[in-house]
Amino acid sequence: MSEKKKKQRVSPAEVLRNNTVPLMFIVICAICIPLSGFSPSYLFNEIVTRIGRNTFLILSLLIPIMAGMGLNFGMTLGAMAGEIGLILVCDWQIVGIPAMVLAVIISLPIAVLLGWFCGTILNMAKGREMITSYIMSFFMNGIYQLVVLYMMGSIIPIRHSNIKLPRGYGIRNTVSLLRMRQKLDKLIPLKIFGADIPVMTFIIIALLCFFIIWFRKTKLGQDMRAVGQDMEVAKDAGINVERTRIISIVISTILADIGMVIYLQNMGNFATYSSHSQIGMFCIAALLVGGASVDRASIGNVFLGVTLFHMMFIVAPAAGAKITGDSMIGEYFRVFASYAVITIALVMYETKKRRARSATGQQLALEQQREQEAA
Amino acid sequence: MNTKRTFFFRVALILLLVIIAALMFIIGRGHTVYFDNKAIEYNGQSIETPYKIEVTVKDERVAKLYDGERGMTDTMGQSFSMIVEITQEKGGDPVAHAVSLALPYSMDGIILNIPAMMAGLPADAYLTEFIPTPDTETEDEDVVTDEFATDEFSI
Repeated sequence: MSEKKKKQRVSPAEVLRNNTVPLMFIVICAICIPLSGFSPSYLFNEIVTRIGRNTFLILSLLIPIMAGMGLNFGMTLGAMAGEIGLILVCDWQIVGIPAMVLAVIISLPIAVLLGWFCGTILNMAKGREMITSYIMSFFMNGIYQLVVLYMMGSIIPIRHSNIKLPRGYGIRNTVSLLRMRQKLDKLIPLKIFGADIPVMTFIIIALLCFFIIWFRKTKLGQDMRAVGQDMEVAKDAGINVERTRIISIVISTILADIGMVIYLQNMGNFATYSSHSQIGMFCIAALLVGGASVDRASIGNVFLGVTLFHMMFIVAPAAGAKITGDSMIGEYFRVFASYAVITIALVMYETKKRRARSATGQQLALEQQREQEAA
Repeated sequence: MNTKRTFFFRVALILLLVIIAALMFIIGRGHTVYFDNKAIEYNGQSIETPYKIEVTVKDERVAKLYDGERGMTDTMGQSFSMIVEITQEKGGDPVAHAVSLALPYSMDGIILNIPAMMAGLPADAYLTEFIPTPDTETEDEDVVTDEFATDEFSI
């Protein structure tokens, strides 16, 4: 019993080591908040808006982690599908919430197809999923550009000149979503401490959280966890590993597609050729800031991450301007921080894995030595 | 049996999505409605403008029009309701009329000539399509496809 308790007790150094990234961000925010000079009500308003805007997208990363596929940089593919849907509904002059619903329905088959494609490729690159999905998002960005820049307006009919480039085909750099801007967020109006609470968006996020909790308990969810723990054992247990992995990526891509539509309705416009390219990076960074790792992530990590990461995003430019007199320093800092956090988290994950492997090896060697001595 | 049921559910799901999409197409169609307070000649009949017209849509006053003026509002769906308050002469009492009409699906912008509409003329007299002036842009827009863009849109 006492042995068990001893095992369960975690040293403060271990806690620190396990939560380095969130703690680092808490320190950064604690330093930057007073320096930025923002009022608590402003910060509250901004954080609430950003939680509503980003959480759905970040939640889309959880299922592939559960299936042992790491951080799905391929969520960019879902974001691209969502953008294609939005471009089309804008041209068809569909507005408000029906526009969002229609954009999701139109982009759904594209997201499923891209997710299936991504999953199939990732099955060919087992153990290297993250880098493969990252590079695949670049490849797919080229296809997206081909479709949006050359096929829309020439092959795919686009009527309105406010969307179409003056040359007659291709989509402009920025697409305005003014007539669906914050329609979902403001569907149920509520103000707390002067901040607009996006009640409907939060309800949808809560539904997704419940879905993920429920999904973990289903047969498919259990299969995914088994595949995530050990593919060989899962295969021996009769689980179709490849199919399970593909399904996890398809679900993630669909969720990223819906998340992108929610994200962009909050923004009210989007940069046609670059909005999606960074979204994967920022979502992954936010998840890691919340204390998640490549093989373990929870809903709690998502909420902690989105709060800390975006708090840093809000206060860093103003704090940078105060310290150095140049707000661009803060801008660079937040971009640098997001790349840095991914690097740190990946390095820490690898170090931890190697340390665990070496500890197991040492334990094994010790046991062998004992056996030899006993013999 | 199980395969059949799965197939049935998949078909039903696709069908449901198609129905929802069709519904969204109809109820989500956006229009910009322009209100004109302009005199009009129709089949030899001349309609004069009142002193002032005020248009209220969903409890919000969207236009206050004097002679020759134009106002506008954005709307969603094919049916459009508004309250038109007409003041015939300066200092006179306004008279309110509740008006409902069906908007043509194919038109993005619709011009309503309020004096003609209130005079009871047929739809082709008071309802016309708003056609924006043709694009005068001669230079093409430089397309930015920077994958490392870090502007506000990216975050």
